[in-house]
Amino acid sequence: MVEQVYYWQALNRALDIELAADESVIVLGEDVGLFGGSYRVTDGLYAKYGEWRLRDTPISEGSFTGLAVGAAMVGLRPVVELMTINFALLALDPIINMAAKVPFMSGGQFPMPLVVRMPGGVAKQLAAQHSQRLEQTLMNVPGLRIAVPATPQDAYWQLRQAIRSDEPIIILEHELLYFSKGPLEVGLEAPPMHRAQVRREGTDLSIVTYSGMLDVSLRAAEQLTEKGIEAEVIDLRSLRPIDWDTCSASLEKTHRLLVVEEDSRFAGAGAEIAAGLTERCFFNLDAAPQRVAALELPIPFNASLEAASIPRIADIIAAAEKLCSP
Amino acid sequence: MREAIILPTLSDTMETGRLVQWLKQVGDSVKKGDVLAEVETDKAVMDVEAFHDGYLAGPLSQADSDIPVGTVIGYISDSPEQAHEDQGSIPEKTTVAKGMPVGKTTTKELNQRDTSPVATAKQAVPDTDTSVPVSSQQSGIKASPYARGLARELGIELHQVSTASDGIIHAPQVLSAALAGPVPNLDAGPAYRYKLFTTMHKAVANNMIATLSTPTFRVSARLSFTPLKDLAHEQQQSVTLLLARACALCVQKHPHFNAVYTPRAMAMREQVDVGIAVDIPGGLVTPVLRDAARRPLDELNDDWRILRDKVKRNRLGPDDYQGATFYLSNLGVFEQVTHFDAIVPPGAAAILSLGAEQDGKVEFTLSCDHRVVFGADAARFLATLSQLLDNPKDSLCDAAKDQ
Repeated sequence: MVEQVYYWQALNRALDIELAADESVIVLGEDVGLFGGSYRVTDGLYAKYGEWRLRDTPISEGSFTGLAVGAAMVGLRPVVELMTINFALLALDPIINMAAKVPFMSGGQFPMPLVVRMPGGVAKQLAAQHSQRLEQTLMNVPGLRIAVPATPQDAYWQLRQAIRSDEPIIILEHELLYFSKGPLEVGLEAPPMHRAQVRREGTDLSIVTYSGMLDVSLRAAEQLTEKGIEAEVIDLRSLRPIDWDTCSASLEKTHRLLVVEEDSRFAGAGAEIAAGLTERCFFNLDAAPQRVAALELPIPFNASLEAASIPRIADIIAAAEKLCSP
Repeated sequence: MREAIILPTLSDTMETGRLVQWLKQVGDSVKKGDVLAEVETDKAVMDVEAFHDGYLAGPLSQADSDIPVGTVIGYISDSPEQAHEDQGSIPEKTTVAKGMPVGKTTTKELNQRDTSPVATAKQAVPDTDTSVPVSSQQSGIKASPYARGLARELGIELHQVSTASDGIIHAPQVLSAALAGPVPNLDAGPAYRYKLFTTMHKAVANNMIATLSTPTFRVSARLSFTPLKDLAHEQQQSVTLLLARACALCVQKHPHFNAVYTPRAMAMREQVDVGIAVDIPGGLVTPVLRDAARRPLDELNDDWRILRDKVKRNRLGPDDYQGATFYLSNLGVFEQVTHFDAIVPPGAAAILSLGAEQDGKVEFTLSCDHRVVFGADAARFLATLSQLLDNPKDSLCDAAKDQ
């Protein structure tokens, strides 16, 4: 049955199913219990599963993420909610130094069935310290997987897959996506967690994007049709690993690559995507890969400056036209 | 009065040109068509011609400088006195539009440049006689990786491919070079110059390339011509007009000859528009007589007179020469020509060609698109034509009154 649900409801449904299915699944985080989560993701679960399964924590990301790493080592399957990726900076030691390393350094003796959920991205006037994206910080850590669901269906699928995985997995959500609606079919079989998906078919260029920029890219692609450009839009769904095969197949068709990312350009996710695809598809490229990315500055508080600092539909259209013009 | 000399766009990819040298001095008398200067484009050294009679006047752009197309490089004035009034050179800076890259030329390149008055295109095209291996020549060309791969697969030499507007060869340029067919290797032969196609010549060339896919057959017949000629003389009509009328009536009787092949279906046209090939200096044009089967002969005669006048004054517009459904080509004015066959132009199913009269007869050849008509159709068409030509007075003149 297909329902139209909010992104947060899809995550909530995934947690509910996994909490019910496996007693070792626990949820940790600030306000995840009584309050139901900052973005309602754990709404109603506290009443259903109790305070031992949904654990409200002090405002101390380093300690409760570290607690989750330890719990995962001894058999629990913790799901940590960090209020935003900006606060994840305080939890980088347990995530990068512990979770990503322990299975490797213990020769596989300790599994790491840890999920860390957090929203990133530019929301509405949260200012520079609360508007970061930071995916590239975690992308550079071997041992982590990073899922970036852009739709309720993917949020549901990928959270369930992450909870059932014995590897440490980051679910990178987006503050503006929690209250976006989309179809959810609970019984539908999930593709592999890292599999990219072609969201729109096209012949003239491949727009590779993820998370909050998917919707912006799709809207740009619709408008590009009026200009005679048919853009293929690929939703990566996963930033580590990246599904190169799906992207390469698209470039064999279009020969032009445009990466759209909300993070700033320099050494961002788009750099890895462009480099990785250039290595793989060099002889299929009919133009140098281009990136549409955020400006190189802390995100301004002022609403119009904020909007102008990250990619807009017009920016994508302009870049696509330029890429396709010669 | 002074007329500006503008650096012309000599190739579709040209953005700047290097003014190699002036072939006239300030004050020299020049005639329209005289070569004033030599300009090196991305492909060749070409001539800048005078468009007016007069005297070359300054300020002139400096030789050996890179200049954006459209820039005024000098003037032609009405009198030699005027020409000398404002001597000197246009400083290079002012000739370069804002944002235009100024080409860099090394001293070595300058020394290598042939300074003889007749510079040849060899300077601009890659010279295979030098010791530089071909592979490194190819790598000096800016092309996308995909374009390079395509060129390799299709056997296209990149130096024969023109660049896109960004100065880089992309896949579409390689593909169009591949579709344009092989380029003759000029490097092996003697020195050469490029003479640009006139717009008309280019259009004819493209049209002819477009006909390559037409499966064509030809059927010939020797038909009597004297009666038609006598009729033309008697009625003070042009032979060509009466021939066009005869064609139109034949087409009307055999309507498949008024069709044209399209991938979807045959397009059957509702009136017969006869295009008539006319020899002009530097090529040919095909003024069209509209509805030539049904309209009164007098009316067609007026049309034909107007069209011929426009041809003479070089004022034929697209409405005058486009869209014929059947064509007529007559080389009969050359008495040595016994017969010939013509190429079926795009948009038609057939073209009728005729040579010179011999013993009161002329050999007609009908070239046909076999997708539209068949051999026996062509034979029947020529039989009808034969009847018309045997008795032109009744068939050609009366038909107009019947309508």
